[in-house]
Amino acid sequence: MSETVHRWMEQYPELGSGPISTEPYISPEWYEREKEKIFHKVWLCVGRENELPKVGDYKVKRLAAADTSVIIVRAKDGKIRAFHNACAHRGNTVITETGEETYGGSKAAIMTCRFHGWVYDAEGQLKQVPSEQRFYDCFSKEKNGLTPVHLDTWQGFLFVNVAEQPETTLAEFLGEYANHFNGFPFDELDFGFTYYTYVDCNWKVAHDAFAEAYHVDTIHAGSFPNVFSTGLQNVKLMGPHRTCAVCLTLGAKPTPVSGIANGLAGASLVSQRGESMLPPAINPDKRDDFAFELSVLFPNTLLHISEGIWFTHQFWPIAHNKTLWEGRYYVKAPTTHSQRWAIEHAMTLQRNAWLEDTATMEDTQRAMQSRAKVEQHLQDDEILIRHGAVVVDQFVNA
Amino acid sequence: MTNKSLPPEFADLAPFLDWALATADERYAYRRNASRAELKAFYDAILPRTEAILALVDQYPLGALPEELHPLYHLVLSLAEVAPHIELYGGAPGVPYAFDETRFVATHGAQDTALGLSPTAA
Repeated sequence: MSETVHRWMEQYPELGSGPISTEPYISPEWYEREKEKIFHKVWLCVGRENELPKVGDYKVKRLAAADTSVIIVRAKDGKIRAFHNACAHRGNTVITETGEETYGGSKAAIMTCRFHGWVYDAEGQLKQVPSEQRFYDCFSKEKNGLTPVHLDTWQGFLFVNVAEQPETTLAEFLGEYANHFNGFPFDELDFGFTYYTYVDCNWKVAHDAFAEAYHVDTIHAGSFPNVFSTGLQNVKLMGPHRTCAVCLTLGAKPTPVSGIANGLAGASLVSQRGESMLPPAINPDKRDDFAFELSVLFPNTLLHISEGIWFTHQFWPIAHNKTLWEGRYYVKAPTTHSQRWAIEHAMTLQRNAWLEDTATMEDTQRAMQSRAKVEQHLQDDEILIRHGAVVVDQFVNA
Repeated sequence: MTNKSLPPEFADLAPFLDWALATADERYAYRRNASRAELKAFYDAILPRTEAILALVDQYPLGALPEELHPLYHLVLSLAEVAPHIELYGGAPGVPYAFDETRFVATHGAQDTALGLSPTAA
């Protein structure tokens, strides 16, 4: 591979090298088209199968950009299905939501609308209507089950597609991206922490802030001061998805508490590790400075994997300039109190780094909305951002 | 007044018992509202005892820590919260150049860490 300063442009010349318009980040009209052409049409990652371990367990996920909330529920046959959270009676939500994500369960695997007590099973069938005889002949329970939403899984991840008839299967949608990550032990690393916040910025501003390593030396000078970006490696664009290796040189000496923690659990991004659990396509050259794989699962999920750790960022659009950010960090479940302590330390550092990452987003949005600058300039190592802009443009103008 | 107590061999850490906080939310809030001097004094007191504390709590299976050792474990968990501020942020109580910390929600934030539960457990 060419090691020139413009090697990614040389590898992917079809993306061009010109400046990128800021209009898609600030235009309410553009956002409406993104909702219609992207979030109403493609597969969206909404969780993991092991979040619903028992029959009757459910999760309701709000999808503002797809104008709905989705119930994801494990039925008596063990299968997980998805439905719009809308009652056939007068349209109320069947499960009362308490926020962006509402978890619950029912041993009988039924869901009862609080408004008038209509009961649905986890296959979506309407089972019971109080005072059913007072409805008229044209009404039948058989025709008034929950409205299904397409659901499929990959490597334990749950995906939904709210289109009536999705244009692709999940496997077709993921394509080569699935092969790239297949085999990573996501299920074994299931001790997961979740942070979230609302950020007053476009979802792509949030995506872009995380989708490069150019910022590491400046933004993370606080939390990762002994870590210097050595740039991206192994950039691979796969349809609408993209991935790369983030390479960092580590300072020789950890801080005192990091030193103790690293000895107890390889739970930090900047701790040292031994044998590899990474799939063969990840860090194929076995570089010593490989830190983690940074990938974008189009449209709104960033998936990172490393030794003993994986983490995701998701950017859920609420409005053209408002985004729900969710960060999730997964490690192997600890078996001792000291390991649990070391994980707490690693999670604290990661949370602080995320606080540093999110710090620029609202400033970027406000500055873009001023229209003082109407385009942005990307360097070669910001290719994931360029690819993102090109893909969004293709979808919106399709 | 606090009714938290420590094992005799760690009795010298008693002045820091206000840092013995069960949840991540409580520890983060206490750290954010502490003074630079308080952070430094806490860090300096706990760091040399960290490995001894962890060795003691590791005598019990995760999730089965005797009640009387919870304050000690909560203390060392506060060190995990405080350490970056002394080691990396020049003693500042807040994360420098960061998003508003109070707007970040940790879904596990109200859980007692000493119980050894999954962060997603209710």
